[in-house]
Amino acid sequence: MHRVKVRYKQSVLGIAWAILQPLALMAIYTVIFSVVTKMPSNNQAYPVFVFSALLPWVFFSGALTNAANSLVSNQYLITKVYFPRDILPLTYVIAALFDFLVAAGILALMMIWYNLWPTAQALWVIPVMMIAVVFTLGLSLLLAALQVSFRDIGLALPLVMQLWMFASPVVYPLSSVPAPYRGWYLLNPMAGVIENFRRTLLQGLPPDWSSLAPACWITLALFPLAYGYFNYREATMADVI
Amino acid sequence: MRNSPALSLEGIGKCYRVPPEPGTGSRKYIEFWAVRDIAFDVPDGAAVGIIGHNGAGKSTLFKLLSGVTAPTVGEIRFRGRMASLLEVGSGFHPELTGRENIFLSGTILGMSRKEIHGKLESIIDFAEVRPFIDIPVKRFSSGMYVRLGFSIAAHIEPEILLLDEVLAVGDAAFQEKCQRRVLDLKQSGVTILFISHDLRAVERLCDRVLVMQKGRVIHDGNVLEAISAYQAVRGAAAAGERRVKHVRPQLVIDAVRFFDVNGCEPDHGVTGEPLRVRLEYTAQEPLQEVVFELLFIGSDAHWKTALHNRKDRISITPGKGFVEFFCDPLVLAPDVYQIDATVERFGAEDPLDWLVGCQTLPVQALSLVKGVFQQPFTLSVPSNTGF
Repeated sequence: MHRVKVRYKQSVLGIAWAILQPLALMAIYTVIFSVVTKMPSNNQAYPVFVFSALLPWVFFSGALTNAANSLVSNQYLITKVYFPRDILPLTYVIAALFDFLVAAGILALMMIWYNLWPTAQALWVIPVMMIAVVFTLGLSLLLAALQVSFRDIGLALPLVMQLWMFASPVVYPLSSVPAPYRGWYLLNPMAGVIENFRRTLLQGLPPDWSSLAPACWITLALFPLAYGYFNYREATMADVI
Repeated sequence: MRNSPALSLEGIGKCYRVPPEPGTGSRKYIEFWAVRDIAFDVPDGAAVGIIGHNGAGKSTLFKLLSGVTAPTVGEIRFRGRMASLLEVGSGFHPELTGRENIFLSGTILGMSRKEIHGKLESIIDFAEVRPFIDIPVKRFSSGMYVRLGFSIAAHIEPEILLLDEVLAVGDAAFQEKCQRRVLDLKQSGVTILFISHDLRAVERLCDRVLVMQKGRVIHDGNVLEAISAYQAVRGAAAAGERRVKHVRPQLVIDAVRFFDVNGCEPDHGVTGEPLRVRLEYTAQEPLQEVVFELLFIGSDAHWKTALHNRKDRISITPGKGFVEFFCDPLVLAPDVYQIDATVERFGAEDPLDWLVGCQTLPVQALSLVKGVFQQPFTLSVPSNTGF
């Protein structure tokens, strides 16, 4: 896809940036949460614990940030040529998925290094990531369509994404969240996605339905609404952008 | 379906909300209908021109036709693939190479990957950018950029082609190539809509012309009729602007008037008919070696011709007077001409008087005139053709 090509044009390291970002975050979080403070990590090596969560998280935050801005950053196209507008957010989500696959190779190497062999349960990461992709795409369509009229979205996103990461089980396990708050906590679909991604891949356990089900339902409810709103705005988008 | 038109518009209107002028105290947005009550059909393989002045609603109509934005009311129906060229090269990504952009832009314009592969060589050759095709287009010269853009668009082979002023890219040779390409497409049965403010550009390509004014179609007919309709909306003659500051005027031009053979003042000239052009002046003192000149400027802002007496310089006595230029026949092609008038002493650096846009001459024709003037000619046929 052109998006992937364009992103790493005229950069010396090229595609290596797809790996460097999660790796750097992993290093920072390992130092802060494993060396400085003792964060529980399901009795696994902290680097691989946090890296396995960073993969779906970096996919989500990268895809959402770019896709939500996609209409505005390509307004020269929108006001000049007709093409189905939903292609724009879609290409950014696909590009992020491509980066995700590259970084997944590093995760595989790390798992070999830490002698963590996946079981058949690891196949669950495929449906789990499908939930993540559909949720990301749905939210991207909604935010991109809103961004056409309200540029606040683009300005607020970097801050929101930072808060959102700490509201997801990236640097800590889901089990650290006190049980009384867990119902509310799981209204964040990324919580269910990340927890189950890590659980099935690293721990070799079957998915935890109590955390995956809310993610699934919210995604299924959000996507048609978001897509409907996007299509409703699509026709006259070029007038207001 | 065979007999339905290629493109059909029904009651199209597009309303924009315009914020009120600051200071008027009003907070209400004003409704502005950029186009309104547009309805027409375009049959298969027709070439239709749409002309109008700035603000007539051409661009809005183009956006509605290409699907960039939806009409507020009404319905647009069309058959087959429609390609629009609203500014060539607008689908380019600056970081990608020319070759990669052919694929990107071609895809956006509705070509399949396979189709682009097949036409790649032809696109590169047409654009005349072969040595540079593998460098990022951000390093292209603007000429290379637009040539590549047009070349991609010219290879789409859609059922309906929307054209803007895109034919005016590159040098004269490339423009001619573009024109021929579009004429070829027309010949092969592509339905063409050409939106322009330049009647001359539309003339060569289209057999039917719609004239737009203030968001509405005010005329729909052949090229000859469209010219008079277009002239009618050009508005009254400009008041004229004096370019010479008179400290002590020696001679002032008062007016430029036109007369036909009957001595009447017509509201327009006719190609191929005689026309008398009179320049009236008031002189304050006797002057020798005086040269009058009338410049005719076409609607494309180019000089078309000039009338002057540089070879027959005249002497002038104080008081009112006039000179007449007799054009028999008038050879100018149909258009609306702005007239500039100057008067000077032969060899002097500054003119005595200089009026810009002091008169307007609409010219019409009894039959279609191709080109910028009608060369008078006589036909001779050898008498012994009968064997």
